[in-house]
Amino acid sequence: MPVEIPKDKWNGQVRVVTLGATADQGGTRTSTVTVGGETTMPFMHFEGEIPHRPVIALEIKDRRPDDWSSLLLDLWSDKADDPAVWAKAAEEAGADLIQLSLSLTNADGNPTTPEAAVDAVKKVLAATGLPLLVFGPGQADVDNELLVAVAEATKGERLVLGICEDKNYRTIVATAMANDHLVIARCPMDVNLSKQLNILISDMGLPLDRVLMDPTTGALGYGIEYGFSVMERLRMAALQGDAMTQLPMIVTPGFEAWKTKESKVGVDVPESWGDWEQRAINWETITAVALLESGADILVLRHPESLKRVRAAIEDLMTAPETV
Amino acid sequence: MAEHTVKFDQASKPVKVPTGTLLSEAAEQAGISLTQPCGGQGRCGRCAVIVTEGTVRRRSTLRLSSEDVEAGYALACQSVVEGDICVTIPPQDKIERRLTSDRTVAQVKPPASYDASVHQSIRRYRLSLNPPTMDDQTDDWSRLQAALRNQSNIGAVQVSLKLLQKLGQVLRVGDWDATVILDSILWDCPDCPARLIDILPGHVADDVPLWGTAIDIGTTTVSLWLVDLLTGEVKSQVAEYNGQIARGEDVISRIIYASKDGKDTLRELVLETVNGLVETACRRAQILPESIVKTTVAGNSTMIHLLLGIPAESIRLSPFVPVVNHIPALIASEVGILINPEATVDCLPGIASYVGADISAGVLASGMSDTDKITLFLDVGTNGETVLGSSEWLVTCACSAGPAFEGAGMEHGMRATQGAIEEVWINGKTFESSYRVIGNVKPRGLCGSGLITLLAEMFLTGILDKSGKIKLDLNTPLVREGYHGPEYVIAPAEETGVGQDIVITNVDIDNLLRAKAAIYAGFTVLADSVGVPMEAIEQVLIGGSFGKYINVEKAVQIGLLPDMNWDRFQFLGNTSVKGAYLALLDHTLRTKIKSIAAKMTYIELSADNTFFDAFMSALFLPHTDITCFPSVEAAMLTKD
Repeated sequence: MPVEIPKDKWNGQVRVVTLGATADQGGTRTSTVTVGGETTMPFMHFEGEIPHRPVIALEIKDRRPDDWSSLLLDLWSDKADDPAVWAKAAEEAGADLIQLSLSLTNADGNPTTPEAAVDAVKKVLAATGLPLLVFGPGQADVDNELLVAVAEATKGERLVLGICEDKNYRTIVATAMANDHLVIARCPMDVNLSKQLNILISDMGLPLDRVLMDPTTGALGYGIEYGFSVMERLRMAALQGDAMTQLPMIVTPGFEAWKTKESKVGVDVPESWGDWEQRAINWETITAVALLESGADILVLRHPESLKRVRAAIEDLMTAPETV
Repeated sequence: MAEHTVKFDQASKPVKVPTGTLLSEAAEQAGISLTQPCGGQGRCGRCAVIVTEGTVRRRSTLRLSSEDVEAGYALACQSVVEGDICVTIPPQDKIERRLTSDRTVAQVKPPASYDASVHQSIRRYRLSLNPPTMDDQTDDWSRLQAALRNQSNIGAVQVSLKLLQKLGQVLRVGDWDATVILDSILWDCPDCPARLIDILPGHVADDVPLWGTAIDIGTTTVSLWLVDLLTGEVKSQVAEYNGQIARGEDVISRIIYASKDGKDTLRELVLETVNGLVETACRRAQILPESIVKTTVAGNSTMIHLLLGIPAESIRLSPFVPVVNHIPALIASEVGILINPEATVDCLPGIASYVGADISAGVLASGMSDTDKITLFLDVGTNGETVLGSSEWLVTCACSAGPAFEGAGMEHGMRATQGAIEEVWINGKTFESSYRVIGNVKPRGLCGSGLITLLAEMFLTGILDKSGKIKLDLNTPLVREGYHGPEYVIAPAEETGVGQDIVITNVDIDNLLRAKAAIYAGFTVLADSVGVPMEAIEQVLIGGSFGKYINVEKAVQIGLLPDMNWDRFQFLGNTSVKGAYLALLDHTLRTKIKSIAAKMTYIELSADNTFFDAFMSALFLPHTDITCFPSVEAAMLTKD
């Protein structure tokens, strides 16, 4: 007996967003990355289109980080001392995008200056042709100071500036508008708050095809199911035609997974936890794949091995089974 | 370009202007200054003029009815001169009156059918007793009872020890003429004997009032009406913040405070407020508090529990059950209200822990239990109670909105009394505000209706973004970084009666947003839970401690009220005290409140996360889903 597979019909579509600009487009990138455009829930190929596959960014810092796992630091070794070298290595490891996270202070403990931030960004841009995401250190006033300088110094590159939050978005959005960049709108795991921030950003006049949203998530075992549900509801709202939720989603499973105890701690843990490095990579991979299934368009990871595994998962999921 | 002559009745000479000139510009050229509080953006309607000859092109008639337009009215800031015209400018007060479509005023009048001899449970009788003699040694009390039986047809009477203690002297001072005051119908025991409240020497004349009070004990505001029970007239209306506020702004924190040895303190504080109001009302009416012989009390369940010194913890804890919903008739001395010690104190019945007597009384006052229309009744107060239904069914819920709309907990909030700014307009270009103050004095602060219009104006003029954040990058000194963060100056110190700038801070705005979001989420979830779509609601009745009115248009613009035709809204004022007043006058209405309370179905909003979701969605200006507010969307487009 033939089985009829029920299909959902959706009216809406996720916006198509292109990151980075080539020389023709006013930037210096050798390639651009396009995400979004879905007309169905993740990987339901028989129901609608998924024109652009999810992409992976590797996260690097402007200097050797103090708070990263030794597993990551040992792996990147002295490449982590120079953002240009690190970016090149990340590209060679297979990243679609590079995320450069600026530090709050330099190695001497002094605040990162706008000049130093611009310098780091320019070095990375020179070292790799991939589109770039630049994240501030995460303190509103410092973010604003550094990101405005970076945005102005890289006008036209269509960088992605992170991050905008409801309490601090106006400065970053304004500089993105003035200098042809994109922004990330981040909200703490709430459908309404995400939508509200998107409206506020749109009200300032930044076209929504230059906005990505980060619904925030937790790592495996640390609230991922809540994040999963919020992403799923955001995507359903988008497909139902709610324009203010039709933005591609970016999530940071690397950041989340590498702060869990399971990834951070290698000694004095039960033997049954197994090999530390494998466990840490598994944690990052499984977190990322779960988010992929809930609608993520861009995944920011930290370990190249995780990248390989998530990449393989994307290949599998993007291959529509022929029998259906 | 063609030139046209514009003649203003109020100007000595006509002016010549080119095609396309705004009427307001022509007026200025003629030396006439028109009132334009909104800065000439067509929002306020204060610059309405009458075109008596010729025609103008009206770009917007947002504020005018079709009859107005037919009568020649045009908004000077939105009308373009395209031919020779004559214009007259109506006096400002006339314009103000015409603009009342967006607000509704409620007056208090005794019910037309009120007849004290039928409806009032308190009765006063003049008696003439036979003096005792050696032949008639009947005791004083029996003598009085006999007189009541023979002269007034009253059977058994209950009497307190206190009254017996003064009985003998009163009878003798009055030379055996006496006036007695009885409560003849006790709601909790209609067949019980009448209760003696007081006995006065001599005969009190018929035209001497018999006094009662109706009291509403709100979480934030306590209101009291002093009423002549014989005519039903309200002789004095007074209100004051509840003295308990300092011990917690909402019912939950009050209950917690009470449970930590604070029960007596809270009781004393609210009694202090009530007794203060009694004193003020009596002073204004020039009467003694002892002459008040009956009071009805409405209030939410927590307030009533705290007033009576009944532990309220069970209200806060699952399964949320109050100690008592139907309180027996009490007397003033045991409650602690300083009126006639024997006066009847009737605490009206509540429905559930979070929907109290203020709502059952409010529903009675609103008349919604008598109409076939599907009615939404909103109490815009601290506890945001909502009732939906008609004569056939009633559902209700409550959500904690906080005291913001009563002006409490705000930097420059105040009650709707003299000196309160009750309406604000902001010039969209200069960001300067113009305002109207209750009593036409220098402003001292902002009351609820002022806060609503202020919030709407700040939003529409772009001082606020849709999340309610004050934009500091506007080019005006009126928006600034203050002690409590970003703030907007409504009135600079020299214009005010308090010697300092009257401002609204971002903290205030957050409080207002939370309050309006809770109320909006409350009634939308309630309507949803019984499957009634918003558009099926035929009338919206609003109760609350605002001044004379609430500006419906502005309340819609901030997303407090649903976006529907203004004629479906009616503002009723403080419905709780009004319901208490009706119950004070008419014992059949008292019985009706009881049946209303029994009929209401209470919906618990905390049962799932639907309410929270709706709340987050409403925590935005006007709402995260703008399609719920088409008129506001249109107003925002006009602005651009």
